[in-house]
Amino acid sequence: MNTINKYIEVSELPHRADHLWRYTPWKKVHPTGKVKDVPKEVKGPKIRLLNLSGTESPPGIELIRGVGEDIRLPESDDVSTNFIKSISEDSKWILKTESKFNSNEPILIEIDAVDEINGIQLTLDIGDRCEFEIVTIIKGSTNWMGLLRTGRIGNGSNINDITVGLQERGTLLRVDAISLGRDAEFRTGTVSSGSERTKADLRYRMGEIGSNLRVIGSILSRDSMHLDHHIEIQHDAPQTFSRLSWNAACGGKSKTIGTGMLKVANGSKGADASQNFHNLLLSKDAEADGIPELEVLENEVVGCGHGIANGPIDENQLFYLHARGFSPMDAKSALIAAFLNSTLSKMGSMKVHDWLSKMLYSELKNMNAE
Amino acid sequence: MESKTPLLEIVNLHAGIEDNKILNGINIEIGPGEIHAIMGRNGSGKTTTANIIMGHPDFDIEEGKINLNGINLLELEPWERAKNGVFLSFQYPQAVPGLQVGNFLKKSVASIRGADAAKGVNFRGLLKDSMKELNMPSSFLSRYVNDGFSGGEKKRFEILQMMLLQPKLAILDETDSGLDIDGIKTVATGINSAIRGTDSGALIITHYSRILDHVKPDKIHVLIDGKIVATGDASLANDLEENGYDWLENKIKSEGEV
Ligand SMILES: Nc1ncnc2c1ncn2[C@@H]1O[C@H](COP(=O)(O)OP(=O)(O)O)[C@@H](O)[C@H]1O
Ligand SMILES: [Mg+2]
Repeated sequence: MNTINKYIEVSELPHRADHLWRYTPWKKVHPTGKVKDVPKEVKGPKIRLLNLSGTESPPGIELIRGVGEDIRLPESDDVSTNFIKSISEDSKWILKTESKFNSNEPILIEIDAVDEINGIQLTLDIGDRCEFEIVTIIKGSTNWMGLLRTGRIGNGSNINDITVGLQERGTLLRVDAISLGRDAEFRTGTVSSGSERTKADLRYRMGEIGSNLRVIGSILSRDSMHLDHHIEIQHDAPQTFSRLSWNAACGGKSKTIGTGMLKVANGSKGADASQNFHNLLLSKDAEADGIPELEVLENEVVGCGHGIANGPIDENQLFYLHARGFSPMDAKSALIAAFLNSTLSKMGSMKVHDWLSKMLYSELKNMNAE
Repeated sequence: MESKTPLLEIVNLHAGIEDNKILNGINIEIGPGEIHAIMGRNGSGKTTTANIIMGHPDFDIEEGKINLNGINLLELEPWERAKNGVFLSFQYPQAVPGLQVGNFLKKSVASIRGADAAKGVNFRGLLKDSMKELNMPSSFLSRYVNDGFSGGEKKRFEILQMMLLQPKLAILDETDSGLDIDGIKTVATGINSAIRGTDSGALIITHYSRILDHVKPDKIHVLIDGKIVATGDASLANDLEENGYDWLENKIKSEGEV
């Protein structure tokens, strides 16, 4: 059965009760709103691999056409996965590294989506004991962009992975379905300040002993943006560790939703997990939700905590900055930047952090200009 | 005798928060180059006085005036007061996780002393010298503002800001309380060199006479229940430390005034 038929078959519509679609129904994410439609002749976006500094990427890492074989995928949402697959037949890529690939220079994948509708599949085929940082930027003036990332992080690898959403308008649908190898350390960050609507279903599975996962978000929404991120973390092996820290700053009439699903399977002894959602409300019309959920089927866990905090800018922080001469506008943007920076700074090295801070700073400037 | 315009002039200040009256008529006049101190028990209104001079939005001013070099501070917003040279070293400095000390200092200096003062060797030189004087390692600059700082680090950081911002009026709210004796000496030296023989002035709020032994204030004001009940010279601090506030209260009751 081809993927289009697969999609049509499952698209008997995800139920609103299915918590993935509770806050943003599929109808609103689908390019036309008619969920049986599968757009034809969709072009893939332009994609290129280079160093973050703009120079050529080093040997040992490559971006090739195809779908990776032998990569076990964790379960994921069928509707969004099959939909992206069915429109990205001609845009399948593998990011492949040799084992022990190592780079001090952060790597950049630039995805430039300019056609009306774009879809792309990217398989991460990261070898064992690799160590590098990779930033993926999604940009362009497309009206609809679908990115499906699947793959595996090799045993003992230590990867910082950051996805930056800078799409100028339209909808972004992101699906991550990534599994971690034994003793792998995977730090995956999302920086989002683009697209009018984002629906992300980000799932990570720790099916082998000793893996270590950090999922980090710095989300900036403004105007009438609607940004919905679902993060699912599956502990399915002993001695696995995960941390989810999600900060969203929400202005204008925008709405941000962060839902977390933490699953600790029976047998994951010594699992250690926590999830934290923190929303900063910048205007009275902005709305933000952070909803952590837990499903713990193992008794011998180190910890499974969660926390949520919602609120406006702290008055005491404002007064402190005012007393140091910051104008109201400067103080506000400094505090928004600080709030987003407290998660941004956890995403990668100093090099990556400097780059991300500059990018975020110019986004905040746009915000004040409005 | 006609004296020149005082640096700070607080006249009959009454203030509170909602229905709760906190200050019941404060009068303080600080001349250029002078250092004054306010002493008083916990809850007497010291921090409230400092916050009101800085322009904290929570308090209602019922009566009175506060002028700095003849400018009516009550008409200015907190950031405008800062630009006019008012500096408050906070009793409990606010943490701002995510905001780096280095960036914060630069922005603050640029806002108060102008863009040129925050650029190049001028800024870096003063920063380096001041940090050295306060015994702060340069790694401090990449930390987040007051985030995870020890009590002493917070106080040193407030003083660092004072040294960089070069205020006309420095208000130090219990800056001595988190510091050891060396720290207090450093701060006292800093205050003396920033104020004595200049047009600037300082108001030191403290519980203890320790810092005053090093600063030698021109005047000491004693605050009880939101009112200045006594103003005297430096010896008043030692009398208070020896005999306590009860002694002063009894003395006032029996004499009518000091
Ligand atoms: N923000 C506030 N809200 C309500 N009451 C306050 C506030 N700030 C100060 N107060 C009250 O004002 C009085 C004086 O407090 P404060 O100025 O902090 O005293 P001090 O600094 O002398 O210890 C206290 O009774 C305190 O409870
Ligand atoms: Mg106090």
